[in-house]
Amino acid sequence: MIAVLGLVVGVVAGLLVRPEVPAAVEPYLPIAVVAALDAVFGGLRAMLDGIFDDKVFVVSFLSNVVVAALIVFLGDKLGVGAQLSTGVVVVLGIRIFSNAAAIRRHVFRA
Amino acid sequence: MSDHDRTNGHRFRAELPAEVTAPPSAAEETPGERTPAALTGRQRLVKGLWPPRVTRAQLIVALLLFGLGFGLAVQVASNSDGDSALRGARQEDLVRILDELDDRTQRLEDEKQGLEKQRGELENSSDQAEEARKQTVEKERQLGVLAGTVAAQGPGITMTVQDTKGRVEADMLLDAVQELRAAGAEAIQVNGVRVVAGTFLTDSGDTVSVDGNKINAPYRFKVIGKPQDLEPALNIPGGVVQTLEKELATVTVERSSKIVVDALRAAERPDYARSSSR
Repeated sequence: MIAVLGLVVGVVAGLLVRPEVPAAVEPYLPIAVVAALDAVFGGLRAMLDGIFDDKVFVVSFLSNVVVAALIVFLGDKLGVGAQLSTGVVVVLGIRIFSNAAAIRRHVFRA
Repeated sequence: MSDHDRTNGHRFRAELPAEVTAPPSAAEETPGERTPAALTGRQRLVKGLWPPRVTRAQLIVALLLFGLGFGLAVQVASNSDGDSALRGARQEDLVRILDELDDRTQRLEDEKQGLEKQRGELENSSDQAEEARKQTVEKERQLGVLAGTVAAQGPGITMTVQDTKGRVEADMLLDAVQELRAAGAEAIQVNGVRVVAGTFLTDSGDTVSVDGNKINAPYRFKVIGKPQDLEPALNIPGGVVQTLEKELATVTVERSSKIVVDALRAAERPDYARSSSR
């Protein structure tokens, strides 16, 4: 419950404050958000499986974000930033879909 | 597939239908003992949501989710700003867009040059048409003076022939007209009748007809031309004036800087003669 409240408060704060995104971080923010979404769906599925562990969640969340940003950064340096970020988004999207399928089976039993 | 799956052997449970977990929970619910492993996913979700518990794990997850929500909202807001459609674009995309814009500018520039050239040609041709029209109008006026269809004015002389005895005849007036023409007269009228190329003079009783119009003495010639040429031409010894005075007529010749020849004649289309210049 507290966690859901945290998400809601974060969205509201982001909409109200509307901070200027620094130009250096700008290409990485969308990828980081997608990676964090993936970690959240993974955590939700683990909770439904009854194997949720907060330490694992924190580590996977942070490492997902850092690795995704790192891949995009590397891609930019190599000159294939657009393609590589597309690849990252595709992989994360596939993971999010499979996690969502597992959650759906738990919640709707279908 | 997330990192949690690898922590223990529950990995395959997610792949299986929910029926695998449902039977034990249904079977063990009757004794009333609630071990977490016996719960279904749905029950765990409900338990996690309500009642809220403030634990370390909950707070940490809430912090991380706060960060996620914040980043999500910021990204969505900055993406939908509209004015900064190019702000998030990569360098290569920007270069491509710039190239396309350059190409487009070049194409439009070419088109503009073509259109300007066309405009110049059109203006040129319309100038030429205007010039041709002006020349035509000018020529029409000049020819109109000769054909008697327009009024004319300019320097010239006035010759008045007083014929008290009625002895002046058509051939004498014709001589006068011929003499004036030879001296460079450009427009002539006699008593309100314009003298043109086809003019004829005939005797009709005591008076004279010009192109069938009877005119009576005194005969007044209005002539446009160079006065210094016209007057001597009439006054030469044995010329028009002396011939008329022999017939007891009085002739006066006056120079004037402004003579108006305003007798007109309708433009007539010749019946037989056609222009062969075309």
